Amino acid sequence: MKRSFILAIAISLLLSLPAWAGAPLDTVQINVNKGLEVLRDPKLKGDSAKEAKKEKLRLIYNNLFDDVEMGKRTLSRNWNSLNTAQRQEFVKLFRQVLEKAYVDRILDYKDEKIVFDKESMVSDTQAEVYTRVLTSANKEIPISYRTIKKDGSWRVYDVVIENVSLVLNYRTQFNDILAKNNPEHLLETLRQKVKGQ
Amino acid sequence: MKAFWLPVLLLAFVVAGCAHSPDSTVSAAPQVMASLPVTQETAPAPTAIQKEPPVPEAPTIAADTGPLAQEKARTPAVPASATPSGGPGAPALAAQEAAAAPKADEFGDIAEFEEGEKGSGGEKVEKPEIADPLEPFNRAMYHFNDKLYYWVLKPVAQGYGKVVPKPARVSVDNFFTNLAFPIRFVNCLLQADLGGAAKELGRFTVNTVWGVGGLLDPASSEEIDLARQDRDFGQTLGTYGIGQGFYITWPVFGPSSPRDTVGLVGDSFLLPLAYVSPWYVGGGARAYDMVNDTSLSIGDYEALQGAAIDPYVAIRDAYVQYRLKKIQLKGSNAPPDKKGLQKP
Repeated sequence: MKRSFILAIAISLLLSLPAWAGAPLDTVQINVNKGLEVLRDPKLKGDSAKEAKKEKLRLIYNNLFDDVEMGKRTLSRNWNSLNTAQRQEFVKLFRQVLEKAYVDRILDYKDEKIVFDKESMVSDTQAEVYTRVLTSANKEIPISYRTIKKDGSWRVYDVVIENVSLVLNYRTQFNDILAKNNPEHLLETLRQKVKGQ
Repeated sequence: MKAFWLPVLLLAFVVAGCAHSPDSTVSAAPQVMASLPVTQETAPAPTAIQKEPPVPEAPTIAADTGPLAQEKARTPAVPASATPSGGPGAPALAAQEAAAAPKADEFGDIAEFEEGEKGSGGEKVEKPEIADPLEPFNRAMYHFNDKLYYWVLKPVAQGYGKVVPKPARVSVDNFFTNLAFPIRFVNCLLQADLGGAAKELGRFTVNTVWGVGGLLDPASSEEIDLARQDRDFGQTLGTYGIGQGFYITWPVFGPSSPRDTVGLVGDSFLLPLAYVSPWYVGGGARAYDMVNDTSLSIGDYEALQGAAIDPYVAIRDAYVQYRLKKIQLKGSNAPPDKKGLQKP
């Protein structure tokens, strides 16, 4: 009797899983937690495991982020002045720039705790997920994820750290460059950035 | 536990005493440096803008700051922003073709920009942009501050960080934060936020009495849970509807605007350190605060810079975004709804 009761609960939990897994907050939480697992994985200690860690993080990133949406929003009106090949290269380069800039910082994560506060629906297909990172230095860093629903799943297209939107920040920089130069120049700048240290 | 902290902290203060000397190396104007320097010099946080239309849009801000207004502002943005994201490949269509080739569609033109840009912020009016007529001067100052950080502040902070253990440095940080209580308290009052003022007063009392003169921060613990109200005079002026004006980078202080400069000067009169005599003791303490802060956030500035395509523009934009948001949220980091509950 007892056993079947527990079984029933377990089944109902399993069944309800997809229901909440669809919500934006859960998507973010699940993927961020997966990322934390990788970072804290005792089997992946030391410099030698760095590449393995990065590879795992990339997979999680692919699940969570929508590169193309991010690229579009970053370029905004300038997106249309790039041809398709340039757009594809831009999305690829932009992603590499971000990875380069942040991966080492992320690999340094250890003592930080992440609190997933809430989500707020902006529309049926857009939501912002609010989280806070509590650092060991007694600081609280608010980070929110802007998500969009496509093909039934939620993906992140912007990250807002300390109230500063990543997409807006890069948009300002890219606008600045594109106001004086052609798209090819922007791509070349990004290529250099990716190549350079 | 406290028995352990005390000696450690004493040590910290001994080091603090020496701060005047590192400080004189820090810059020509050490007495200025300090109350909010972290964000300016090192933090990943603030700064920013765009130069196209110089629209200091603060007047609207004031009107729009209330939680209700935010709610309203957000709603109209919704239908608009939903469309452009899908672009030509509307969700339904995309779903059908998901297996086939959504790729080609993905890279298609976008139909509407402005709304798509708003994201879930939803606030229409307040574009985070700032005029930058002094760009050549500002860029020069940016480079000056950059060198100041890499050549002086960072090495000093790193050396200091090696000598003083992290818990002690966190306590020193708490101490200075507690000391700046009048700034937050008075600005809460100036913003007619009695709830915030009460919280600040409570925090100050709790942390001063139970937190060993502000070295610890029991008020932030889960049981007491009095969140710090980040307020400053520049923000107060913003809530009154005063625009930010143009962008200016000060040596040592970093990114600012005329409004925030007035704010900084105004706030400095509320800092107890301003009344310490002789003046260089107060100045030294502020410089020490800056070094201490830096030692706790080494790597932030580097990351910001490393991630940027044009670091000057990136910092300017981050500054403007950060200040705008701060005025909208009136200092709390809480998401809008939560805040609505606190201050109906």
